[in-house]
Amino acid sequence: MERVERLTNLVAVLLDTRVPLTITEILDRVPGYPAGEAARQAFERDKRVLREEGVPVETEAIEGQDQVGYRIPPDRYYLPDLDLSEDERIALHLALAGVHLEGGEGRGEALWKLGSAAPVDVTPLAALPALPELVALHDAHRRRATVTFGYKDSGRRRVDLHGLVFRDGFWYAIGHAHDRGEVRTFRVDRMVPPIEVGEPGSYEVPAGADPASVLPRQPWEIGAGEAVVAEVLVDAVLGPQVRAELGPAADVEERADGGLVLRLPVVHRPGFRSWVLGLLDHAEVVGPDDLREEIVAWLEQVAAAAGGAAS
Amino acid sequence: MSPQLAAGDRLRRLLAMIPWLAERGSATFDEIGQRFGMTEAEIVRELELVAMCGLPPYTPDRLIEVLLHDDGVEARIPDYFRRPMRLTPAEGFAVLAAGRALLAVPGTESGGALDRALRKLEGALGDHGSVEIELDAPVHLAAVRQAAERRERIEIDYYSASRDEMTTRAVDPHQVLSLEGHWYVEAYCHRVEDRRLFRVDRIREVRPSGDIFTPGPVPDRPGPAFRSSPDTRAVTIRVPPDGTWVVETYPNEVLEEHDDGSRTVRFAVGGQAWLERLLLRLGPEAWVVEPEADRTAGADAARRILARYR
Repeated sequence: MERVERLTNLVAVLLDTRVPLTITEILDRVPGYPAGEAARQAFERDKRVLREEGVPVETEAIEGQDQVGYRIPPDRYYLPDLDLSEDERIALHLALAGVHLEGGEGRGEALWKLGSAAPVDVTPLAALPALPELVALHDAHRRRATVTFGYKDSGRRRVDLHGLVFRDGFWYAIGHAHDRGEVRTFRVDRMVPPIEVGEPGSYEVPAGADPASVLPRQPWEIGAGEAVVAEVLVDAVLGPQVRAELGPAADVEERADGGLVLRLPVVHRPGFRSWVLGLLDHAEVVGPDDLREEIVAWLEQVAAAAGGAAS
Repeated sequence: MSPQLAAGDRLRRLLAMIPWLAERGSATFDEIGQRFGMTEAEIVRELELVAMCGLPPYTPDRLIEVLLHDDGVEARIPDYFRRPMRLTPAEGFAVLAAGRALLAVPGTESGGALDRALRKLEGALGDHGSVEIELDAPVHLAAVRQAAERRERIEIDYYSASRDEMTTRAVDPHQVLSLEGHWYVEAYCHRVEDRRLFRVDRIREVRPSGDIFTPGPVPDRPGPAFRSSPDTRAVTIRVPPDGTWVVETYPNEVLEEHDDGSRTVRFAVGGQAWLERLLLRLGPEAWVVEPEADRTAGADAARRILARYR
């Protein structure tokens, strides 16, 4: 007999039973187990395979010689009835077909479970990176379990997650950081595995929490401190790119020649400087005066740097 | 032809296939093959196995009923296998992320249905608003997508970031897609006579030509390899201690770590403008180790930009 036949029968027996079954009872009912002590070991291996494949085999303490019984609780096994209409099901299939999570798993099988729909022939519309940590973080958030992870340059952090946001090509985890006592954002690609997940139901997400709004829109908005409004001229050649980058909420004035005048709230000056200089000859910081002077001073230092100096 | 799957993988596939069959009652081998990626021989083998499964005492009335025909199968599935297994955490995340990403694409047709479906899914998973996906919305996205759908050649004024120059090109847009948060159009460029990826947010103007083109072959999936431009070269830079963000952001090779926290790093540079940006951002403490020709790249760029401020 093939092992998968025994495994399938094992799932059937454990799903169908109303009461937990002992190993003895299981070995008695499910065909294909070897004789003697080898049978117990085979069952242990089968149980592990089932759990690896996401089948929730529960162990319960029971009366009697064996002391332990097994079953698969139906409410933990079955997909709840989603009550999806035909067009809703098709919409999910289209999403799964059209969006690639690069390096992620689970897409193929999710399609099977969501019910039948005519196979869709869709060219990929979007590809996102799918970091392995995301599944663990998402599941922890869902179960309200505190996570602990190493974070580059700042040691281990304990966080109650409020949400995950993908923006500008990066995944962010937002949540209440225990050590800081306030909501912080973390770049998921800067987390050092393993991610430890605590007990479910350990915290509540405050009503009205809006993780995406907590995420600073731009590098120059990061940090505490008063914002200064920087006025920046941008040449027309970079107009569309800068508009797309800043988003619709930014203070952008378009001039007749297609150039832009931006008014940006700057808290983090190095972040601002980095961005402006990335625009090379096509941007100029008009004001305020001290910010403009800072940019000029930086450029003068780079222009004067000897380079190649022995260290 | 897929290689022999491990027992665990076959089990998982069976646990999905059986309820799927239960929902339909019957299916052709073609339909099963398309849905599950199996050959007819594999399907028959798995179904013959399923027919041996059920509950003790494994008499005919207790076995899963499978009737194999020439081109398909009819099945009568007992209660305990009529519903699929819940989504694993990986599957749950995959569906939510994919669904939210598609909703973030401007002009998604099935938006209403997709939004409702995701809410139902989130409700069933006990999970609300856990994942948000934001994609950028460049001003010419709709025009470029329309041209790609119509297979219409367009002329674009395009800003090449690596060379810091504007060019006008005739391109045949094949596919528009979002990669790592930015929209790209994969197109045949008549200027270089080759396929290229263009960032849609760097297109200044789009002018439809009215000419329809015959599409070339579709590449498997554009990815980072596809994006490397032909004129990359290696530049080695001494990166100061506060420049570590650079090492994170760009593909590079750290050649040496120094006592003062600085590093000697080799980068694949795509275009002079790219190098200038990097050096300007790293600041006066950074310098080019080699090649010699690039030693003054940062200083030259800084002087040029200073002209604007004086």
